[in-house]
Amino acid sequence: MNSKLVMAPASGLQAEVLPVRGRVVKSKWARNLLTFLMVFGPGLIVMVADNDAGAVSTYSQAGAQYGIHLLWIVLLLLPVTYFIQEMVVRLGIATGKGHAAMIYQRFGKWWGRFSLIDLELVNFLTLVTEFAAIDLALNKMGVDPRMGVPLVAAGLVLIAVTGSYRRWERIVVFLCLLDFAWFAIAFRSHPPVWQIVRGSLIPGMPAGGLTPDLVFLTIAIVGTTVAPWQLFFQQSCIADKRLRFADMKWARLDTFLGACITITVAGCMMIAGNASRLHGFTFTDPAQMAVDIGTFTSGFFRHAILLMMINAAVLGTTAISLSSAWAYGEIRGWPHSLQLPIRQAPGFYVVYLASVAAAAGLVLIPRAPLQLIILGVQVLAGVMLPSAIIFLQLLLNDKELLGGYANKPWNNWVNWTIIIALFALSLILAAQVAAPNLFPAAS
Amino acid sequence: MATMTNAIESDRIADHFVVVHPLDDVPEAKVDTENLGPMRMTLAVRLSLLSLRAYLALMMLLVFYHVLDLAGLFGHRA
Repeated sequence: MNSKLVMAPASGLQAEVLPVRGRVVKSKWARNLLTFLMVFGPGLIVMVADNDAGAVSTYSQAGAQYGIHLLWIVLLLLPVTYFIQEMVVRLGIATGKGHAAMIYQRFGKWWGRFSLIDLELVNFLTLVTEFAAIDLALNKMGVDPRMGVPLVAAGLVLIAVTGSYRRWERIVVFLCLLDFAWFAIAFRSHPPVWQIVRGSLIPGMPAGGLTPDLVFLTIAIVGTTVAPWQLFFQQSCIADKRLRFADMKWARLDTFLGACITITVAGCMMIAGNASRLHGFTFTDPAQMAVDIGTFTSGFFRHAILLMMINAAVLGTTAISLSSAWAYGEIRGWPHSLQLPIRQAPGFYVVYLASVAAAAGLVLIPRAPLQLIILGVQVLAGVMLPSAIIFLQLLLNDKELLGGYANKPWNNWVNWTIIIALFALSLILAAQVAAPNLFPAAS
Repeated sequence: MATMTNAIESDRIADHFVVVHPLDDVPEAKVDTENLGPMRMTLAVRLSLLSLRAYLALMMLLVFYHVLDLAGLFGHRA
């Protein structure tokens, strides 16, 4: 326990000695490293959790169908995903509140409720797809999903209800670091290094040219890399962790490192898909791809891919469920923090528990309409993403709210370019899903 | 815009530094959003929200079209 000098913000002069827990270091270098390690978390988690079960499926399908020709698109998404989440970092640190609360307060009840209902709905449907992936992977591993799915759901609830943000964060960061196994999986498939470098840095078109299938897979890649729940999750996470203005640069670094890791891991998933293609396998789903890869590597890699698939779904589930619980708590004015025990924030934990339990339960119902749910996710994400990003951009230009942390002109040029591109892509994807007859050439 | 003295910078005591985890630190003064009220409806904000409404209306029309299509109203489904 150390004492700490705190300047009272009102006067800027009055000093007060308050007892706070801290660590003493002697060098500036050690101070920076330790501060980063303390701030580190929300950025990594939001980015790695974005590589959820749907992302594993999309990236491995891209690799299985088009080899490494689409790697440059993934690399192009690195600045896109970073710039969007960096805005969330500024907003979260400056206000100390979640994204849903900000929309509600600054745009009124109508837009607040619209955003909340849309978020809760798309999040729930996405959670169902996460548990569907867990079910699929467990099946391929020879584990009965009727046992495995409830166990995973129970684990997901247990990591969140400890009443300690730090405990939850440490467990989830550990799960995020397990994602490095994708590097070993990609390396084991003996990737053509020079072709990968070329495919990543030089934009190119796969053989067959620009087909509707390629367009929609590209949109799916973009859609899976930039998801609406990420905005809500990271801002609420930053607010819950109580990051300070002084932590801004470290939170940005955390987000940037997370973006680099998630994009590199996405590339590894594509390389794994490419390996199965080179061995003559046709892609059906990532679990089957794991089985196929196991035939020319070893059973270890088969299980590794299946476990990574479950890990991706678990990370996606905890982050998405929390974004729902935080957003609901913010709008309803309930206590909403992982730092609080269940008895002090019952509503917050009930939303989290209900999200996880309902999604897991739905997957276990025989002949559940999973295809309809996937379709719903795509349409609702098409509605949700542009609106969430518009609100984010407007809030980041709100000088009354953010003062010096508001967007600079160059931020706006970059962001509006991204927003217009995302609007167009979301519209094309949602239109294709909702009205497939408008695109007769697409299969 | 609320400002706060850089907590980490002010932690320098003699020749060592005290690093405090955000959750162990004294809560920092943030922007007072409660008293700000709704956002001012400038032309840019109005245009953005109008575009968003138009986009949402278009999406609803697409979903409505899909429902009618599924119901076989356009006559080209098996």
